[in-house]
Amino acid sequence: MIYLRLFVQFFHVGVFSFGGGYATLPFLYDIAEKYHWYSAKQLTDMLAVSSITPGPVGVNVATFAGFTTSGILGALVATTSVILPSFIIVTLVSKMLDKFKTNRCVKGAIRGIKSAGCALLSAVGVKLLFTSNLHLFGTMLLVVLLIMSFLKKRDPLFYLGVSAVVGLIIGSLNLIGV
Amino acid sequence: MEKTWYSIFKTFFKVGTLLLGGGYVILPLLTSELVDKKKWITSEELCEYYALGASLPGIIAANTAIFVGRKLMGGVGALAAILGMVLPAFLAIVLLASVLSEIINNSYIQYIFWGVGVGVIVLLFLAVKEMWKKSVTDKFSGIVYAACLLLALWGKVPLAVIIIGAFVFGIVWQKIEDRRGGVR
Repeated sequence: MIYLRLFVQFFHVGVFSFGGGYATLPFLYDIAEKYHWYSAKQLTDMLAVSSITPGPVGVNVATFAGFTTSGILGALVATTSVILPSFIIVTLVSKMLDKFKTNRCVKGAIRGIKSAGCALLSAVGVKLLFTSNLHLFGTMLLVVLLIMSFLKKRDPLFYLGVSAVVGLIIGSLNLIGV
Repeated sequence: MEKTWYSIFKTFFKVGTLLLGGGYVILPLLTSELVDKKKWITSEELCEYYALGASLPGIIAANTAIFVGRKLMGGVGALAAILGMVLPAFLAIVLLASVLSEIINNSYIQYIFWGVGVGVIVLLFLAVKEMWKKSVTDKFSGIVYAACLLLALWGKVPLAVIIIGAFVFGIVWQKIEDRRGGVR
């Protein structure tokens, strides 16, 4: 039953992803490997699409995965499942807010999970570096953009815009595989 | 402005629509809508909800919306806020997804996506850098980071197990630290 599987997987993403923004990515790549609802390449494309569409990345990818596997109903199931854990957890936490803020165990657990979330995302970065077919020009583009990011803080759209234009030029000149 | 479920929904729908390029712009957006324009909550309250939302699992934008919605109108408010926040994202992708598979086969679009794939790696790197600054600050977090990174790269341990491990280890470490502090 595809809807149940969508529900379980995206609920899982909502429960375990930690640290905001791209923190859902390790789990989303994991799903790509296991279930083939979308490929790793499609997910990377989705990330780019999601940065020019409204809403958080995690929600965008859930909707996309649900839609590609089983249409509008799948999209609805996947999107709801990724949000549902938040709804439950926030409701519980608001009921004991003061305890939550001062509890030492909570503090320790959060410290642990924050570092773990950062580590999981780093692992995704490493894997992407080795699996993307960057070749010569892709590597050059990456190095230039990274240096630029060190020099000055820029809007995320800047990097995507520049890399889109460079991709178009290099592709049109038939140089991508070089 | 009067607080009804519809006005809460509308406000969050607007924020959800303007939320482009990842969740990092959410705090300025919410401040402008909820604090400056509607005067529903104070800036301090909003920052607290955001910090809490960021320290819980799940999508930060969603967590923050639910916290604010609950504060405004209880369960109904939370539902209105989260619906408003997510609906624009949902609609945009559903509308795009049906055309996406068609345009993606165009070779020029393929070139653009190849380039953008490189841009995404840069964004990922920046996200890691940002998270690193907030999380890896001492010996404890350094150990957790290194252990989790190795486990994740190895690929044999489910990601959820890694997260749970870090969760338990964090509690144990905190207990030990507290005990040592007590002795001193």
